[in-house]
Formats: sequence, C-alpha cells, structure tokens
Amino acid sequence: MRVFSGQRAWLLQRFSALAILVLLVLGAFTLAGADGSAYERWHALATSTHGSVLIVAFFVSMGLHAWIGVRDVVLDYVHPLALRLPLLAVVAFVLVAVQIRVAMILMGAS
Amino acid sequence: MRLRIYRFDPDVDERPRMQDYDVALRHTDRMLLDVLVRLKEIDDSLSFRRSCREGVCGSDAMNINGRNGLACIQPVSELKEPVTLRPLPGFPVVRDLIVDMTQFFAHYHSIRPYVIDDRPMPERERLQSPEERERLNGLYECILCACCSAFCPSYWWNPDKFIGPAGLLQAWRFITDSRDTARAERLAYLDDVYRLYRCRTIMNCTEVCPKGLSPSHAIEQIRTALVKESS
Repeated sequence: MRVFSGQRAWLLQRFSALAILVLLVLGAFTLAGADGSAYERWHALATSTHGSVLIVAFFVSMGLHAWIGVRDVVLDYVHPLALRLPLLAVVAFVLVAVQIRVAMILMGAS
Repeated sequence: MRLRIYRFDPDVDERPRMQDYDVALRHTDRMLLDVLVRLKEIDDSLSFRRSCREGVCGSDAMNINGRNGLACIQPVSELKEPVTLRPLPGFPVVRDLIVDMTQFFAHYHSIRPYVIDDRPMPERERLQSPEERERLNGLYECILCACCSAFCPSYWWNPDKFIGPAGLLQAWRFITDSRDTARAERLAYLDDVYRLYRCRTIMNCTEVCPKGLSPSHAIEQIRTALVKESS
C-alpha cells in the first residue's frame, strides 16, 4: 500500500511516536487526577467518552507504529519472499487482534 | 611493522585466510600505502588497488584495523599493530583486498549523476550565485571510494536495493544544484521504501568518510525536501 511506503511510512512512524507520547502523558494525568482505587480509576477512564477516545487513539497509534517498525525489521533481515509474507501476515494478524480486543474491552466496560 | 592481511584468490583458495607479514619500516614509509607497495615487492601475489596515492581517486579503500579508510592517507604512525587489513566489508571479494564495485556504481548511475537541464542552451554558461554554488560544498568532493557504503549496516542488509550513503550524497548534490531541472523527478525516484528509507541514521557513513563529508546530513536533506515538496 502506497500509504505505508517511502516517505509516508517514515512520517507516519514519527507522528505516531509523538502521538503515543502525548497520549501516555494525558492518560497518566487523567489517572493521577481521578479518585478511588486503581481499578476504579481505570474503569472510570475506560467508561468515559474522552477516556475511550484516548485509549483507542493510543492503540491505533501503537498499532501503526509497531507495524511500520516490525515491517522495516522484516524487510531488512528476512529476504526470502516465502518467509517474509507469512511473517508479515502474522504480525498484521496480531496487531489487528489487539485492536479488536481493545474494542471489545471498551464495549464491555461501558 | 606487523601486518595481518586478508588473502583470497578464488582460483586457488577454497576459503579466505589471514596472512602475517613483518616489514621493517623505512623513514620514507609515511602512509600505509607506502608499506603495502613495498610489501608487494616482497610478495607480488598480494593484490590491492591504488592509483593517485593522495586521497583523490579512492582506489585504495580498505578496512584498516576494523575501520574503512584510504591506505594512501592513513599515517603509519597512527596505526596499532598488528595492522589488520581486510577488503571493504559487505562487498564481494574479487581477490585479496580488491572488491567488486559493480553494484555500488550501478546505484550511483541510478541517481543520474549529471546535471539535467532541458531548457534552451544559453549563449554563455549557466550562471550560479555564490550562495547557490555554496550549496554544493560538502557534496561535490565525494570521490566514490565506497568507505561509507561499505560501513553502513543498512547497505550490508540490502545492497541490491538500498542506494547507500555514497549514492544518496551524490543524489542530493544534483537535487540541490540550482542548474538542475529534474529536482521533482529525482525526489520522486528516491521516495521508495528501499532506495532511501532503508537508512536508519546509524551515521557510520559520516563517522568513517575519509574526506570528512556527511552523507547522513545529505540524506536528512533529501527527507526534508520530500516532506516539503511532496504533493
């Protein structure tokens, strides 16, 4: 896909890293500012609208960042196409599974 | 001076070996190439490239004590013994210290290393302002010795697809040339997951360049230009 090649992938990786950092800081402040036990704070974060958006944005950014990073490592080290394609498919599957799992947790919490 | 030199003759040897030499230095032996040339008189089977003997042609690039450099500008006094000499890492060995640079030059040719200007020819030369000419400093001095590309792990991993620091430095030399009219096509050619973006900013290239150039800076300039000028 063109969006994941060359300059766009390079930019996407850097912007997603920045987004991860900002979202981590925001999440930490939100949790630190909330009342109750650790579980109650996390539950409040996951059930609030802004908290859900924050968590989804974090995992989407992490998924994109991880995909480009792992793909680059695979492109560097795994040269046989017969090995490379299944490996990339496994990585894509795991990353998509993580996104689905996050969505399920958030829907279950609300 | 004690030397350990990589020896491999594909017609005779099954595998490479390291051969030890002891050479009594003379007062005229200032640079490593002086020692190698005299060693050649002792053992004429030893093969290496050399030409200008003053750091201009880039022929005698080799791995000297684990670091790429030019034998002709490497002072003997700075070397720790035994001096271990190997061919440029990552390049196919033709014989002893001589490597096959076909792929390296194929990458160089791929970036079209000449000014492209399809405008009508002027009556006199195409002029550049001093500022425009200044942009070429630190780029045009590259002698294509391949010390940088042969010290770049990204180039070792994908030598057939990644253009490498030397080729990319040359690419930026023509992209930034005010007389060149193919800037957009040149940038579009480099916007590829392999050609440019295999660079991990390891910066071995800049660290090892015997001419003191900075291919990593040139690569950064290409990336910046791509961000600013891509549609």
